[in-house]
Amino acid sequence: MSEKEIRIDPVSLVFAKVMKIGTWVGLTIMVVCGLLYLVGISPYLDTSSMAKHWGEPAAEFWKNMKGTEVNDYSWFLSHLNSMDSLSMVGISFLALTPLISVILIIPRAKKIYAILLSILVAEFIFCILRPLI
Amino acid sequence: MDRIVVEWVVILFLFTLFIGLVAPISGVGGGVLFVPLATAFSPFSIDFIRGAGLIMALTSALSSSPYLIKKGLANAKIMFPLVIVSNVTAIIGGIVGLWITNVFPLGEAYFTIALGGVLFLVFVVMITSKRVEFPEVKKVDAFSKKLSLSGTWYEPSLNRTIDYETTNLPLGLVCFGAVGFVAGMFGMGAGWASVPVLNLIMGAPIKVSVATSMSIIAVNSAAASWVYMAKGAILPFICIPSVIGITIGARIGAKLATRIKPLFVKYLVMGIMLFAAILDILKGLSGLSIV
Repeated sequence: MSEKEIRIDPVSLVFAKVMKIGTWVGLTIMVVCGLLYLVGISPYLDTSSMAKHWGEPAAEFWKNMKGTEVNDYSWFLSHLNSMDSLSMVGISFLALTPLISVILIIPRAKKIYAILLSILVAEFIFCILRPLI
Repeated sequence: MDRIVVEWVVILFLFTLFIGLVAPISGVGGGVLFVPLATAFSPFSIDFIRGAGLIMALTSALSSSPYLIKKGLANAKIMFPLVIVSNVTAIIGGIVGLWITNVFPLGEAYFTIALGGVLFLVFVVMITSKRVEFPEVKKVDAFSKKLSLSGTWYEPSLNRTIDYETTNLPLGLVCFGAVGFVAGMFGMGAGWASVPVLNLIMGAPIKVSVATSMSIIAVNSAAASWVYMAKGAILPFICIPSVIGITIGARIGAKLATRIKPLFVKYLVMGIMLFAAILDILKGLSGLSIV
């Protein structure tokens, strides 16, 4: 049997395909916007004053940089006109990719796997929504 | 942009380029070198370093997983039951890790000492664990049988397909619970722990273990990333040069792997890890004013 004749579970192939597309989209947004941010185009977090605070724990950093407390995703979702916030959207997309891949294979999976995958989806959704509850 | 900021962007890029070069040759992931070394040498808070470590692990694992699944090396059927457990513990690990560094006044110091301890553990695992190319599975447990945790891949070095099955799923689940917690808490992929569990406990062939571990890392780091994002512990300023550096380095490293002696690089990386572990413990103790 050659490499081409190996039968990969179709559910796994769909999982891989969705993951590949999601990764490209997420990486492109993250890197392109991130590089524009690093060359100084429309930053939300001013890199010049960042050096004074980057050694502080996250909570203190945000208090001193922006005078806010960060407990959800609004710190980047509310500033989508800034390149660093858009780069964070790319990162969020990457972090969503496994969830999207799992959701799309549930209808194709065998019953026992559909149950396991549904539990996984519930865990992900709880994790994402937890700060908003 | 300030000179110090430009300097650190360049340093992060070169540092992660080096990690990307040596990591694939030595058989460890980038996070296990990035997090402890950046904690020891960089001026950044350990919160942002762990956040960047997770994003590096996430991008590396997401980039390689589709190819490994299509080749039949990464087995999604083995991955799904394990990630149900490790996902929960990775999320808990992330929450606990950020809670320790942000609530306790000396949290960063305690955490840096713990990171040094984990690195010693990685060092011991690297020295003691054996890799079994094709483990013999004598008896398949009922859960693994029910879920048909088996697979096939084409091995070019033998010019034939290899069929395999795995076992000990209940014990594997317990171990992956611990692996997920460490991954979320310290911002590492933790392939150093998941590969031996898949290979030596569950009986997956070593190539399948390495590939399946990458897919597990993709799911676990994705979940833990949400915890770090919700606390503002992921900064593009640190993530972007690091992700670009490690990606370019890993591509060059994969090509170099066929030309240079992997054993030499493995010992070099182990030496660096031991050095980083000692430095992290000293930095933590100095934060507690003990040394």
